[in-house]
Amino acid sequence: MGATTSVHRTIDAVWRMESAKVIAALARYVRDVGLAEEMAQDALVAALEQWPVEGVPNNPGAWLTTTAKRRAVDQIRRRENFNRKVEEIGRGVRESSPDASEGVEDEIGDDLLSLMFTACHPVLGTEARVALTLKMLGGLKTEEIARAFLVSDTAVAQRIVRAKKALAEAGVPFEVPEGPELAARLASVLEVIYLIFNEGYSATRGDHWMRPELCAEALRLGRVLAELAPKEAEVHGLVALMEIQASRSQARTAPDGTPVLLLEQDRARWDWLLVGRGLAALERAEALNQPPGPYYVQAALAACHARARRPEDTDWRRIAALYEVLARLSPSPVVELNRAVALSMAYGPAAGLALVDEIAGAKALQGYHLLPSVRGDFLLKLGRTDEARAEFEKAAGLTRNERERTLLLDRAAACLT
Amino acid sequence: MRFLVIVRTAAELPFATRYCDALARAGVLLDAADLRAGAVDGNGRVTTGAPVRGYWLIDVRDHAEAVERVRRIPVAGCVVEIRPVAVV
Repeated sequence: MGATTSVHRTIDAVWRMESAKVIAALARYVRDVGLAEEMAQDALVAALEQWPVEGVPNNPGAWLTTTAKRRAVDQIRRRENFNRKVEEIGRGVRESSPDASEGVEDEIGDDLLSLMFTACHPVLGTEARVALTLKMLGGLKTEEIARAFLVSDTAVAQRIVRAKKALAEAGVPFEVPEGPELAARLASVLEVIYLIFNEGYSATRGDHWMRPELCAEALRLGRVLAELAPKEAEVHGLVALMEIQASRSQARTAPDGTPVLLLEQDRARWDWLLVGRGLAALERAEALNQPPGPYYVQAALAACHARARRPEDTDWRRIAALYEVLARLSPSPVVELNRAVALSMAYGPAAGLALVDEIAGAKALQGYHLLPSVRGDFLLKLGRTDEARAEFEKAAGLTRNERERTLLLDRAAACLT
Repeated sequence: MRFLVIVRTAAELPFATRYCDALARAGVLLDAADLRAGAVDGNGRVTTGAPVRGYWLIDVRDHAEAVERVRRIPVAGCVVEIRPVAVV
């Protein structure tokens, strides 16, 4: 009994390590990611039957791929139009003897990259891309994805089925896009990875044990992508951003669960190993000498804080300048609001207030409690306490977070004394 | 979960930094280093026993995955120790 459990644990681990490569190698032959994934699942079922009895093979990845390819051949034979495809796949089966896995890493790399681009194809909606990526590249089980996103198993299973169908219907080719298409497609891959990371990091809907798992998975996917596409600065930018954000995960909540703001965090609790990795990834992005992209700039912003041993050492001028770059790359009133805060830290509250007043009319900021809250802060620092109090009260009326409301009302009350 | 993989071997250096490609490509390698011979204790006395010649620090889902990943590394004639890193 104990031995069987341990074999199952090994199978779980092997699956997480190998499934993406198995699916990718298979998809290259059958040119259909959905079919490739099904065949890989079949191979997993076969492994679950055979390995506990016969033992885990020496090269489990090659075993899974070979088994899956055989199933694919059978499957296609049963279908009508099999002639040419069977020939190709048959050749593939013979070529990939279980010991031939070394030396074909480049090919596997290309296949993995193609799989990433396919799973994150823009014909799919965000949720579908996320689910497919976790399933096919992360090796997560349907129920694990469901648990992480607090939805039912059936919902995730349906999402994946529909996504595979949509890919087939759109005739999405299994390849790494080239030329002008590459940039847009890469952006979609990066977006999915960062979404997975944020889903784990922000924990907006309860906090489940799967959440840190999502952060770890996104980081892993990012690092894999950085190995596969080392000449893309934005990939390193995203990795840097995630490493630095992850470095703060222990410090960003108090023991009672209340969030701790960046400037108030105990920096000794930051994970300095991850900080170092993040700064190194940022340097790799810089060394490529490409025009800065949004992930690079956000990582550079995070790095400004990471480099400061104490909050008062923060280089606010650089932060303000970086926010200006970010505002140009991805214009958003929220970015402008952050820039205003940085300006006030670098050049005094009047500079911040000037920018806030400039953007106050933006539609996206109407009803956004941070606008009056930030404005109140600037006014208070300028000694305009009556106006500051009104802003804090306004902000308190807008926030939906009870704790924040109390805090804002306290600040408003403090303006009276 | 983080694991420190300690490698004791008589093999030539570089060792740990040479055989870490697969771990890096899989996105699980956080750190690796080779260690020179000549270990001393806190009092400066030379210690005995099979020397630790390098380490890998990896971030994987669980112990089974750590074992599987290390098992794939072609390391002949060495002793590997896999220790979970405590989260304090």
